[in-house]
Amino acid sequence: MLYLSLVFVFILSYSFYFYGKKRALSLKFKKNENLSSLPDYYGYYVVLLVFFPAIIIWFFLLIFKSNFQEMFVMSPVLFPDVATWSSGKFGLIMNKISNLSMIVNLSEIDLTVGDKSILKMASESEIIAAKNLANFDKIYGWSNLTLFIILPVLLGFLATKSISGKLNAQPIVEKIISYVIKGSSYIAIFITFGIFFSLVFEAINFFRYVNFMDFFFNTAWNPNRAFVINASEGFDQEALKEAFGFVPLLTGTLLIASVAMLVAVPLGLLTAIYLAEYASSKVRDIAKPIIEILAGIPTVVYGFFAALSLAPFIKDVGEGVGLPVSAESALAAGLAMGVMIIPFVSSLSDDVIKAVPQSLREGSYAIGATKSETIKKVILPAALAGIMGSFLLAISRAIGETMIVVMAASLRANLTFNPLEPATTITTQIVTSLIGDVEFDNPKTLVAFALGLTLFVMTLILNIAAITIVKKYREKYE
Amino acid sequence: MVDQNSNYALQTSEVYVHYGKKMAINNVALNFPKNEVTSLIGPSGCGKSTFLRCLNRMNDVIDICNVKGKFLLNGNVDIYSPDIQVETLREKVGMVFQKPNPFPKTIYDNVAYGPKIHGIASSQNELDEIVKDSLHRAGLYEEVKDRMDDIATGLSGGQQQRLCIARAIAIRPEIILMDEPCSALDPIATAKIEDLINELKENYTIIIVTHSMSQASRVSSKTAFFHLGNLVEYGETGKIFTKPDKEQTNDYITGRFG
Repeated sequence: MLYLSLVFVFILSYSFYFYGKKRALSLKFKKNENLSSLPDYYGYYVVLLVFFPAIIIWFFLLIFKSNFQEMFVMSPVLFPDVATWSSGKFGLIMNKISNLSMIVNLSEIDLTVGDKSILKMASESEIIAAKNLANFDKIYGWSNLTLFIILPVLLGFLATKSISGKLNAQPIVEKIISYVIKGSSYIAIFITFGIFFSLVFEAINFFRYVNFMDFFFNTAWNPNRAFVINASEGFDQEALKEAFGFVPLLTGTLLIASVAMLVAVPLGLLTAIYLAEYASSKVRDIAKPIIEILAGIPTVVYGFFAALSLAPFIKDVGEGVGLPVSAESALAAGLAMGVMIIPFVSSLSDDVIKAVPQSLREGSYAIGATKSETIKKVILPAALAGIMGSFLLAISRAIGETMIVVMAASLRANLTFNPLEPATTITTQIVTSLIGDVEFDNPKTLVAFALGLTLFVMTLILNIAAITIVKKYREKYE
Repeated sequence: MVDQNSNYALQTSEVYVHYGKKMAINNVALNFPKNEVTSLIGPSGCGKSTFLRCLNRMNDVIDICNVKGKFLLNGNVDIYSPDIQVETLREKVGMVFQKPNPFPKTIYDNVAYGPKIHGIASSQNELDEIVKDSLHRAGLYEEVKDRMDDIATGLSGGQQQRLCIARAIAIRPEIILMDEPCSALDPIATAKIEDLINELKENYTIIIVTHSMSQASRVSSKTAFFHLGNLVEYGETGKIFTKPDKEQTNDYITGRFG
C-alpha cells in the first residue's frame, strides 16, 4: 500500500503541472494580467509544492512505520511488564508476533482450528497482538493510500489558487531545484565520509587490542593466534603481538600488483599506440570496444581462469625447466589481473594520445621526422602525464582486486618477493577475516577495518596522484 | 613547361590534386625563383594551402588526398619519385604552420629537435651553435637567451611562431613554406614576422600563403592568384596589385569577392 501511494504522489503531482500552467495562461489571456514568469514556471511551481511536502511525509511514514507498529502492538494491556523488558527481548517478541501475524493474516484462521503447532508455541496475548498487528497493517496501508490521494490534491489546489500575475514563480522554482541539486551532491559526499569514519572508528577499536607499531611493522601474519586465550581472562597479549603483522600482506599485494603491471603496462601502452597512431579507423572502431570488454568480464571469471588454466600451466612449465612452482602462485594471479587491467591502460592512454593536437604531429613531420620518431619524441612526451595517470588508475585497480587472488594466489601470508611462491593480499585477508560467524568484539574480525582503512588510504593517495597528473596534462592544451 | 633553369628553387607543372573525387587543384604550373618570396593568394577554399602542402608532401598523411604532377627541386630532383625519401625532402623544404605549434618541450629542445634527428651537429657545442644561430636568425634569441630551458608553450603567440621559424631553419632548408603564418597573431607580432621574412629571403626561398593582400604586397616579389583550384594569374607582385591582366584578379584584390 505504501508503495502504491508513492505512485499516486508521482502521478498527481505531475498532472498538476498542466493545471498550474493552464491557470497561468488563463490569467494572461482571459484576465489580461501580466505574468511575472514564463507560463511553464507556474506549472513547475505547483508540481514542486505538491511533490516535496507529500514525498517528505511519505518518507516519514515509511521510516517510522515500525515505531507505530510497536506502539500499537506492545500495549501494556496485553503485556503488563513490557516496560521492564530488555531491548533484546523486546525485539525477539516483536519478531515472533510479526511472524505470527503473517500466518494469522494469510490463512485468516480461526484460532481454534488449523495449524496449531506454531500457534501452540505462542501465548494468548501474543496471538491477540499478532491479530492486532495484522489489522494495524491493513489500516495503516489504507489510510496511507487515502492520505496520499487527498493530500496532493489539496496541496495542488491551494498552490494553483495562489498563482497570480504578481507571483514570480521562476526564482522560487529555481531555488527549490538548486536545493535539490545541492542535496544530491551532498548525499554522495556524506556517504563517502560515512564510509571513511565507520572504517576509522572500527579501526580504532582494533588498535585497542593490537599495538599500532606491531601491526604495521611485524612480519608475521597469523590471525588465528588471536584466539589464544589466557586462563585468567581475555586475550593473550603475547599471542596478539605476533598475530597481526601487516608487512607480508603489503609485500604480497605489491608483488601481485607488480606482476599485473608488468603485463598491463607494455601490452596496454603498445595497444594504445597502435590504436591511436597506426590502426585504420575501421580497425580502431572494432578493436577498442573488444579490448574494453576485458574490463567488463566479472573478476570471478578471471579467478577461475587463473586458478584452473593459468596456474597449472605455469606449474608445468616451471617443472619442465626445473623450477619449483607451487600450485597457487602470485604469478598466476598477477598475470590474470594484468590481463584484466589492460583496458584501463590502453583505453585511457589511447584517449590521451589521440588528444595530442594534430598540429604537433604535422610540426614534427614537417621537420623531416619519421612516424616512429614523432611518436617517441613528440607524442609520447606530450601525452606522458595522461599515460602516467592511466598507470596509476590501473595500479589502484590492481591493489583493490580481491577475487582473483582469493581463487588463484593463496590465503596464506608469505613474506616473499618470489612470484612463483604463494602470496596473499590485503583484500583477501579482509575477506577471510569476515567469513563465517563473525562477532565484532575480537581483533580477528576487527582487523578487517584496519586493513580496509589502510587500503583505502593507499588507493586514495594513488587516485589523488592520478587525478593531479591528468589535470596538469589537460591544462597544458586547453 | 619545366625548363632546366637553375634560377628556380622549385618548378611545378601539370599539378592535379583530388580529395577523394573532389578536385582541389586543376592543372597548375608554377615556378618559384631562388631567394625570393612568392605569395599565394586567393579566397578560402581556392586550393592555395593544398598546393603549398604538395611541395613538401605533407598531403601524404591524408589518405584520401591524391597528388599528380611534376615537381622538380633545383631543376633535377623529382620530389614525388619513389627514390626520394620524404624525410630528406622535408629536410630541404621546411614548413611553418598557420597556428604556432611548438612542441611541449624546452625552447632549446624545440630548435634542437630537427638537427638531432638529421644528425646535423657533430658535437654538443656545434648543436648549441646551431640552436643559437637559428634563434638569432628568427629574431628571437635576445628575448629567450636567459630561459632556453623554459617550456616553449609558455611563450607568447608571436614568440611561438618565431620559434617555429627557428625550428624550421635549424635544419638548414633551402625552401621555407609558410601557411598563413600570421593569421593567429596580433599586428605587432605580424610586423615582426614580416620583417623576419624580408631578412630570411637573403638565404632562403620562401613561399607564403596569405589571406592578407597588404601582407602579400609588403613581403613578396612574386604573387600567384588562385581561384577554385585554378591558377588564375601569376606575376610580379607590383603588377598583380596595380595592373592585373585578369578581371577576376582585379575583382579579388579590390575586395569584390572572397
